[in-house]
Amino acid sequence: MDPKALSWHIEQAGPMRPRGRRGRRLLNRGVCAFSIASAAVGLLFLAWILWTVMHRGAAAINWTFFTHRLAPPGAEDGGVGNAIVGTLLMTLLATLLAVPIGLLAGVWLSEFGRDSRLAGIVRMFCNVLMGTPSILIGLFIYTVIVIQTRPPHFSGYAGAIALAILMLPLVARTAEEMLRLVPNELRESAMALAMPRWRVTLTILFRSAKAGIITGIVLAVARVSGETAPLMFTALNSNYWPDTMNEQMSNLTMTVYQYAKSPYPDWQQQAWGAALLITAGVLVTTLGARLILLTGRGRGARR
Amino acid sequence: MELTLSIRRRGLARWKPAAGLLIATVVLGWAAGALESRGYPWEGLAAWVVSLGSGIVLLMVASGLLAGGDRVFRAVCRLAAVGIVLLVLAILAELVANSMPSIRKFGIGFLFSTQWDHITGHFGAVSSIFGTLASTLIAMLLAGPLALLIALFLVELAPPWMSRIVGGAIELLAAIPSIIYGMWGMFIFAPYLQNHIQPAMNRWLGWTGLFSGPPLGIGLLPAGIILALMILPFITAVARDVFQMVPAVVKESAYGMGATTWEVTRKVTLRYGARGIAGGLFLGLGRAIGETMAVTFVIGNNHHISTSLNSSSNTISSTIANEFIEATDPIYYSSLVELGLVLLVMTMAINVIADLWLKRLGKSMGAL
Amino acid sequence: MTRTIINGERMDTARPRISESTPKPGRNPAADPAPDDAPARRQVSPAVPVVRTQSPAPDPSADGVPPRIVVQNLSFFYGATQALFDNNLSIATNRVTAIIGPSGCGKSTHLRVYNRIFELYRDQRATGTVLLDGQNILAPGVDLLELRKRVGMIFQKPSPFPMSVLDNIASGLRLHYRLSRSELSDRCEDALRRAAIWDEVKDKLRAPGTSLSGGQQQRLCIARAIAIEPEVLLMDEPCSAIDPVATAKIEELIEQLARRYTIVLVTHNMQQASRVSNYTAFFFKGRIVEFGETTQIFTNPVEKQTEDYITGRFG
Repeated sequence: MDPKALSWHIEQAGPMRPRGRRGRRLLNRGVCAFSIASAAVGLLFLAWILWTVMHRGAAAINWTFFTHRLAPPGAEDGGVGNAIVGTLLMTLLATLLAVPIGLLAGVWLSEFGRDSRLAGIVRMFCNVLMGTPSILIGLFIYTVIVIQTRPPHFSGYAGAIALAILMLPLVARTAEEMLRLVPNELRESAMALAMPRWRVTLTILFRSAKAGIITGIVLAVARVSGETAPLMFTALNSNYWPDTMNEQMSNLTMTVYQYAKSPYPDWQQQAWGAALLITAGVLVTTLGARLILLTGRGRGARR
Repeated sequence: MELTLSIRRRGLARWKPAAGLLIATVVLGWAAGALESRGYPWEGLAAWVVSLGSGIVLLMVASGLLAGGDRVFRAVCRLAAVGIVLLVLAILAELVANSMPSIRKFGIGFLFSTQWDHITGHFGAVSSIFGTLASTLIAMLLAGPLALLIALFLVELAPPWMSRIVGGAIELLAAIPSIIYGMWGMFIFAPYLQNHIQPAMNRWLGWTGLFSGPPLGIGLLPAGIILALMILPFITAVARDVFQMVPAVVKESAYGMGATTWEVTRKVTLRYGARGIAGGLFLGLGRAIGETMAVTFVIGNNHHISTSLNSSSNTISSTIANEFIEATDPIYYSSLVELGLVLLVMTMAINVIADLWLKRLGKSMGAL
Repeated sequence: MTRTIINGERMDTARPRISESTPKPGRNPAADPAPDDAPARRQVSPAVPVVRTQSPAPDPSADGVPPRIVVQNLSFFYGATQALFDNNLSIATNRVTAIIGPSGCGKSTHLRVYNRIFELYRDQRATGTVLLDGQNILAPGVDLLELRKRVGMIFQKPSPFPMSVLDNIASGLRLHYRLSRSELSDRCEDALRRAAIWDEVKDKLRAPGTSLSGGQQQRLCIARAIAIEPEVLLMDEPCSAIDPVATAKIEELIEQLARRYTIVLVTHNMQQASRVSNYTAFFFKGRIVEFGETTQIFTNPVEKQTEDYITGRFG
């Protein structure tokens, strides 16, 4: 090594001009303060929204609210009972439709497709479908179901199918991710027992990925049950208790939409009540799903 | 010979439950339709559900029974996966088909016309596209920096317990249904903005020309702010994950050189995470651009282009939400569908770009 | 001026080799016209007494220069778990002090106190005093930015920043100094030269730092650390993630750097300690078992535990 290279410059250049630390420190303090303030802003808005919904919604809630059906403005005995039933029914049917198909697609992505080209395409389309605005799903169902039925009519089925399409990619991607987390040794040891692949998947893999998959499904259900846009052109809304799913179907979110936009104070009040129901339902379900994951993980760790 | 026979006989024996299921599926399905049309709707629905269930079980049993059970199982799974692709293509095709009358009538001019007049039957997408882009831009400008700062707080500043709580609360913002944002925006936030914020903005920022016009509380600005709140959790989540991906030793060596938290973030963390954060921003962009309900409540729904953030406007999705049901005229209907098509193409482009971008990111992170 | 390095050799064969160690490059005044701040150290080393107790007393200065760092009663806690117990140590100015010991004995923990980098993690806590040039760095009012400027650190894994080779150096310089563009590039080149990596990277200064090989990355990190002119360089097993040839280069570099900087080197490689260090501290279970001149520790250890360890009987 050339010894001259070592202190090649230092001796001639002398000491460097130091930079003040006060400015740097002030800047740092400023950014940190902004950072804390940002978190506070986020929390503030969350609290503001939740508090408003609780405060205003609580005033609307009483026994009649749950047991009676939608009523014209001014009526004493209006409730959202039929809307609750409608929302539950459509969400249930959507779940029944989307979960099996979504799970099978997830299984294919994680067990068979893996890193193939087709799997890449399917994953990309899953993401595209997840990112598709929900109102366009409603539009799609309107064009393929609502106006194709004879006579053309809005129906609970159409609403449920629209919700199912929204759920489908969520379920598929969660199932894939959770199945991928299952260690390969488990697959190999099960296959080594000459168990066919389908049984390995349906029994062993699903069982060990259970907590994650259920969480994913519950989160998807929660998300879908709060959707309004896909129901706008499919199930619409109805003032009556549902007789069949093959007609316009009442639901909470559309009720909130119509009541909130109306000029009648008593409808607006009921809209807040319905908003509270939706919010509470969705948040409780979401938090519940997280809990499932937590306890499921805890059990997995203990084993 | 005897061997094949015995296999076939045993196979036949096992086919019995499968055949039963097949019959059950078909009969129940048929019964469901019949019941439904004869005035027993709930019995019909129950029959549908049971029929669906027995169909699924049938598939499983069949795939187990067949010699190539795995092959059937695999094919069924593959069908479901490919079904998602076909579904997306069907959505695209259906929107194209239904907007054909409008495409034929207005051609490419649809994208450049500011008219939206259902009396004369002239429709153009410019005002809706403008409102969509403007509200999304406001949302991104607000939510982007805010999300990064919150992620910084969660990863670098807050103690773990606080980070978990605050992070969970921010994520909860994503769980609130969009109609709740809309309602809160219309009844609570818009009046607040109108009475307390906008007059001050008009006074102090009026010179920019962005805040002219009377403060109504509704318009582009509140729509942008509410959109920002809605996409905040998505960008924050991605940014937090990206910040946490920075190797501890690199951060330590930056701190070890005497860098402040902000300097470490700017010089190391943000550089490490630049691509991931861009992906997160794309994710937020995709959400903001298609959001319907929250925007419909607060944007004012006006086919009018103005540079003032106080003025009411509309977005593609809010236009569809507001006008679709009343659009009985075929050309009106198909113009609205074409608007939807424009939105679909936009979100598809954003999602595909984000997807490819994050995939490349994954590769380059793997190489690191 | 080359020298063979036998890597991964068993310790029992290493032991005799140390006693016959030849003058190393950069230490022989005849072979290397070193600046006057780097006296030949072997001649003055007898001034250091061997301390036999578990808590060695501060080391009286080698050749009249006071020690740069004096550690007194340093204890360290990870939450409720105590990792260091009453460490006493003094680090001689412009010398290489090696810290050896079996893994998990607290070597790195001890080192990470010197620039208070451990404070990034909330549950970690140090008590006692660490005097840097007479000032207690564990005292509350200490300017951390200043401390970390004076005490640079090299980590086990090379940690180039996600930016170009040049920016890696420049980013650190810009933190602490106001420099013109030309000064900046001069200083960067100077640092790269002193880290003996200039010739290898001068054609790819704009390439990302991560594109270099592991050994080059580690020397880049050394260049980055010495560019800001620290007084002390902490090296936490700098060669453990690097191949033998690169290790040889870095060891040579450490010897060169010791003329300007006080170096504390944590290593699990005892040959490395014997090759490059002037003093060696042997850690065991969070305590300093023995501290003294390297030759003495390796040829004539006082404590049984030290002997067992360096002869490879445990650890």
